[in-house]
Amino acid sequence: MSDIVLETQGLTKYYGSTVAVDHLDMQVPRGCICGFVGRNGAGKTTAIKLMMGLLNPTAGSSRLLDCDSTALSPAIRQRIGYVTEGHRLFRWMSIAELERFQQAFFPKQWDGKFFANMIEYFDLPKKKKIKHLSNGQRAQVSLALALAPNPELLIMDDPTLGLDAAIRRQFLEGMIKLIMRQGRTVFFSSHILGDVERVADRIIVIDKGVLRANRSLEQFREAVKKAIFIFKDSAPAEIEIEGLLHCRRSEKELEVILIGTGEEKIAAWAKSAGAAQYKIVQMNLEDQFIEFTAPPGRKKLFRWEEL
Amino acid sequence: MRFWILVRKEFRESLPWLLLAAIVFFGFGGFCLRAMAFTGGRNWYYSRFSSGSIVAPDQLTHYSPLQITGMWLLVTSIGLGLILGVRHFWIPYFTGTWPFLLHRSVNRKTVLAAKLTAATIAFVISLGTVWVCFYWYANRPELFTIPQTGRVFIKGWISILMGFVVYLGTALSGLSTAKWYTTKIFGLGFAIFIITATSSQWQLTWAFVVIAVGVSILLSQIISLFLNREF
Amino acid sequence: MALWIQISPGSSEPVYVQVAEQISEAIAKGQLASGDKLPAVRKLAAELVINPNTVARAYTQLEQAGLVTAKVGSGTFVADPKMRKADAVDMNILTERMDTLISRGLNLGLKATKLIEIFKARVEKFVINSNNKEE
Repeated sequence: MSDIVLETQGLTKYYGSTVAVDHLDMQVPRGCICGFVGRNGAGKTTAIKLMMGLLNPTAGSSRLLDCDSTALSPAIRQRIGYVTEGHRLFRWMSIAELERFQQAFFPKQWDGKFFANMIEYFDLPKKKKIKHLSNGQRAQVSLALALAPNPELLIMDDPTLGLDAAIRRQFLEGMIKLIMRQGRTVFFSSHILGDVERVADRIIVIDKGVLRANRSLEQFREAVKKAIFIFKDSAPAEIEIEGLLHCRRSEKELEVILIGTGEEKIAAWAKSAGAAQYKIVQMNLEDQFIEFTAPPGRKKLFRWEEL
Repeated sequence: MRFWILVRKEFRESLPWLLLAAIVFFGFGGFCLRAMAFTGGRNWYYSRFSSGSIVAPDQLTHYSPLQITGMWLLVTSIGLGLILGVRHFWIPYFTGTWPFLLHRSVNRKTVLAAKLTAATIAFVISLGTVWVCFYWYANRPELFTIPQTGRVFIKGWISILMGFVVYLGTALSGLSTAKWYTTKIFGLGFAIFIITATSSQWQLTWAFVVIAVGVSILLSQIISLFLNREF
Repeated sequence: MALWIQISPGSSEPVYVQVAEQISEAIAKGQLASGDKLPAVRKLAAELVINPNTVARAYTQLEQAGLVTAKVGSGTFVADPKMRKADAVDMNILTERMDTLISRGLNLGLKATKLIEIFKARVEKFVINSNNKEE
C-alpha cells in the first residue's frame, strides 16, 4: 500500500478570472487525521470537490489512493467514504431505504451491525423519510452511511457546519473510531478549530486558495508564537527578525507573531533591539489560525515551506 | 447488479409521475374512446363517409376513433417527457444530491444509463400498456365496426417516442452549463423541432427516421456532456 | 480514571500537555499509586474523544519525566517514585508557575511570610494525602 493517500500537485481552479484554488501542493500520509482549515470562502469545498472528481482542474492534478481524481475507478471509489457538503441525500427515501441503497455498492465491506448501532445510538427512526429529518439528524445518517463501509480514506466536507455541539462530538467520535483501525485516514475540512485540536494530528491551512501550512498539529502549535517586547522609550518602527509574520506596535510595546523562531533568537533580538523586557505568550489554536490567515499588512505573504 | 439498484432508485423517484401520466391518459383518452363506442362508432364512421363511397385504408387510419385518444397520448407523453427530464436532470441541482449520487462505485456512464433506462421503462409501462389496452378495446367488434389497423397502433408508439424525445431534450437543457437561458433551452428546442418535423408528414418511415436522427443527436450530446461535466 | 481528565481544546496548552499534566497531578496527589496501570491509549482516546496519537504523546512525555514506565505488551504503569527526575526544562516551568502565584499573592496584599506559610501548609496537605515520603 502506498504511503501517501491523498496528493495534489499544482492543483488550480479558476472561475472566470477569480482563482478559487491556487497551485495547491499537498500530500497526506496514510493513517492520520488531517484537518483542512481555512476561513469561509478560502477554497476548502472547491479543493475537496476537485479531489473527488466533481470539478475539473484548470491546471495541476490531484490523486486519491494513487488514482487520478478525474478518473476515479469504481474500485477506488469503493475504498473512499465521502461526506458531502450539507449532507444532501435523496429526500424521498427513508433511512432504511437509503441503507439498502448504500449497502448495494459495498457488498463485501458493509458493516450492517455497525450501521444499526449507530442509528440506534442516534435514536433515529428507520422508517422516516430524509425530508422529515432535521439538519442534525440528516448529518447523523450521512455519517453512518459513510462509516459503515469501513472506508480506507474518509473525506468530509465541513461535516459539522451548522450543527450543535452534541452532534459535532458524535462526528469526532466516529472519526476516532475509524482511525483506530489499521491504515485508515481521515481528511476533513472545518472551521471549528477546537474540533481540529481535539482529533487532528495534521493541519493543513488554506487561505484565498493558497496553501499556507501543511504540518503536524504539534509542529504548528509549537511554531506559531506570540512575543511581546516592552521598551523603555519608544518601540522601533521597523523590525527585522527571523520568522516574522505580523507585528503590532503601540507606543512602548511591540507584539510580534513569529513562526518557527527559536527562543534563543528571540532573546538575542530582544537584547539587540534594547527591549527592557520580553515575554513569549502561548496561543491557542484558534488565535494561531487567525494570526496565520490575517492580512499580511506591510510584510509580504508568508509561505511556510521548510521544517 | 449496481446498475439495477440505480435503475430502481430512478424508477421509484419517477413513480408518482408515471402513474399520473397513466391515469390522465387512461382517463381522458379512455373517456373519448368510450364515448365513440356508445354514441356509436358506427355513427361516427357513417358521419364521415357518405354511403357508397370507397374507403381507402389510409383514410381508415386517419379517421380512426383512436385518433382523439391518440392526441391525448401525445399530450401526456410530452408532459411525461418534460416532467421526467426535469426530475432526473434538473431537480438534483436543487436538492444538491449530485455529489452523493456520483460518488457511487460505478462508472459515470452507468449512472446516466440508469436514468435513461428508468425513463424508458416508465414510458413503456405507463403509457405503453394503456395504449395497448385501448388498441385492444377499439378492436372489439361489438363496439366498433371497423377493426383498427396496425398502422394506428404504430402511430401511438410514435407518439410515445416523441415524448421520449422531449425527455431527452429536457435532459440536455438541464445538463447544459450555458449561462444564458436562450442557449440553455437549446436541447428542449431541438426536441420540439424534431417532433414537429415528425408530425409534418403522415409517413411512418419518415417519422422513424426523423426520430432516430433526433434521438441519436440528443443522446450523443447528453452522454458527452454528462461524462465531462462539473457538478 | 478518564473522568478526572478534562480537555479544553480552546486552551493555549496543547492537548497532550493537558493530558500529561492532569495525569502527573493525579500521581502527585496519590490518586494513582506506583504500579497502577494507566488506561490503554485507545481506550483513553475514545473516552476523551481525542486522537490516539495525542494520548501516546502524553504517555511518552510522562515516561521521559520518569513518572511512568511503558512495558511492551502490558501497558503503561505508574513508576516507582525514586525513578522520577525533574530536568532543567521542568524546573523552568515550575519556577515560572511559582512566580505567577507569588506575584498574585503579593498583589492581594499578603506579606511574604504569610505567603510562605500558606504554601508550606498546602504542600504538607498534598503529601499527607499521598503515599509519597518527602525527599
